[in-house]
Amino acid sequence: MKVRVEGLTKRYNNVTAVDNLTAEFESGKLIALLGPSGCGKTTMLNMLSGILPVSEGKIYFDDVDVTDLPPEKREVGLVFQNYALYPHMTVLENICFPLKIKKVKKKERIEKAIKYAKMVHIDDYLDRKPKELSGGQQQRVAIARALVKDPKLLLLDEPLSNLDAKLRIEMREEIRRIQKESKVTTFFVTHDQDEASAISDYVLLMKKGVKQQFDNPRVLYNEPHNLFVADFIGIPTINQLHGQVEEKGIKIDNCDYLIEGLFDTSNLVGKRVVLAFRAEALTNCEKGKLHCTVKESFLSGKDTLITAKVGDKEIRVFVDSNSEYKEESELRFDFKKSLVFLFDEESGERYV
Amino acid sequence: MTKSDKLKKTLVYIFLAIGAFFMIFPFIWMIITSFKTGFEANRVPPTFLPENPTFNNYLTALKVAPFGRYFLNSVIVTICCVALTMFNSILAAFSFSKLKFPGRDILFALLISMMMIPFEMLIITNYTTIVKMKLYDTLIALIIPFVSSIFYTYILRNFFMSVPDSLYYSAKVDGASDWQYLWEILVPIAKPSLVTIGLLNAIACWNSFLWSILVINSQQNRTLPFGLFAFTNETGIRYEVLMAGATIVVLPMIILFLFCRKNIVTGVSKGGLKG
Repeated sequence: MKVRVEGLTKRYNNVTAVDNLTAEFESGKLIALLGPSGCGKTTMLNMLSGILPVSEGKIYFDDVDVTDLPPEKREVGLVFQNYALYPHMTVLENICFPLKIKKVKKKERIEKAIKYAKMVHIDDYLDRKPKELSGGQQQRVAIARALVKDPKLLLLDEPLSNLDAKLRIEMREEIRRIQKESKVTTFFVTHDQDEASAISDYVLLMKKGVKQQFDNPRVLYNEPHNLFVADFIGIPTINQLHGQVEEKGIKIDNCDYLIEGLFDTSNLVGKRVVLAFRAEALTNCEKGKLHCTVKESFLSGKDTLITAKVGDKEIRVFVDSNSEYKEESELRFDFKKSLVFLFDEESGERYV
Repeated sequence: MTKSDKLKKTLVYIFLAIGAFFMIFPFIWMIITSFKTGFEANRVPPTFLPENPTFNNYLTALKVAPFGRYFLNSVIVTICCVALTMFNSILAAFSFSKLKFPGRDILFALLISMMMIPFEMLIITNYTTIVKMKLYDTLIALIIPFVSSIFYTYILRNFFMSVPDSLYYSAKVDGASDWQYLWEILVPIAKPSLVTIGLLNAIACWNSFLWSILVINSQQNRTLPFGLFAFTNETGIRYEVLMAGATIVVLPMIILFLFCRKNIVTGVSKGGLKG
């Protein structure tokens, strides 16, 4: 099912948790609501589920206005951060519960529950109580319970935050698989950009309730709209050098040379800017535009990551593993064509 | 286990055993006496075990007073009281814990403050009300004043409040109404508390004495405690028969407790909710 929100706003007294958010979400996709804590992503999810009334704006499911529909009539499946399994019921009874409420016949609902239990690989534990399950198993039960009623929309609130690191990677792939199998439009909330980028079709990145960018993860990485997006997405964090645009090029603070010919900056002269580039956006080159002093080098898998000083700032760069990089040695780099951006220092808006 | 641990444990058990003995001895004495003959019951020094155990006291008690009828009355009154009290307390506790309406907490504080008023103060007004309602000397008079309890509502409300809201929202998203959430989720989770409250309530109803001698007159509407009281007046004090009657009064509650004991204990040991 397609979901559209228009001017969606949620206010708590003086705090605006979600601010005038408009977006359209394609049917059958996995969408991540991403952002730092307190950015309104869970609020957004709860408004989609109907648990929270909206302050302003509209929510449409397939062009039907559901803004004022209570949660029990929205046909959504919701998985809470703490899973919220019914503690007195067995796994099977938990999964059956939404069907029992719908008055589906007993035989039919058990059949269906078992089908979904199999899908999430929990069918060996049908007679257990939630207490007797591990976190990952509880989560699978919660997902099965959300899916069993054939929801139009599946909502997952930080589904992986209670799991240990290894299980988290495993479960996120599981979520991807389950979502693809069931083909239901799915939203999931996370503050982990790695998680969001890894499995989702689209990412809605938010900051303080305001939409920053809504794109697929690759675009978010390659073409961030502003400095916040560039900074939030990607590991290691994007390198940022503050400086000023001069007539012939960009002067990085505390450096005595100009970076010339990187961008056409003729109409930005005098502006304070942030030159940002990914760690893989540089190539080692004797006549490179960027001068720096090596501080340390780390071997990370097949790559070597070095930290180096540019002026008084530190940058991280992936370099060729075959050569050696001595501490305190001088290096020069050239910029690749892509993954280098220029932002306004104050507003964070992107120029180039 | 070290020696001092063992010693400590032994001491604790001895202490507990003494306490238990003091609690249980009157009951044992009651039951033993009920099997003695009238002569033996009054003998000094007393015997511990009856020399000629006899069941006659029970037959006499049942012949002299209609204990069967009293028993039935007690059962009817207790079941009605407990069922209605539970039902009302659950509904009240739900609305005071999970529903949001203006003035909710003030209203609840008012209710709690009512708990300060002792029952004895209400007796006269309750009595006149019952008489005006033409319910004097009926079983309904024994039930109506006791179909709700602020205390139990308070206990249940606190339990309901400890149940995470995410269960409520989860049930809502699963399509349940408030009513279904209450009976399908909240009440089963609260079962240990409910059994405990129900049992306390049942014991209180079963033993209630003062109110029944006020509003009951005819023999056929007496409950067991009142019946036992009347019995001593009507037959004079014959300890062995009196003890047989008392055993009939007490036994059902002991049996009920033994049945529910497991539920209460699991309720306590399982503790609250996880996640």
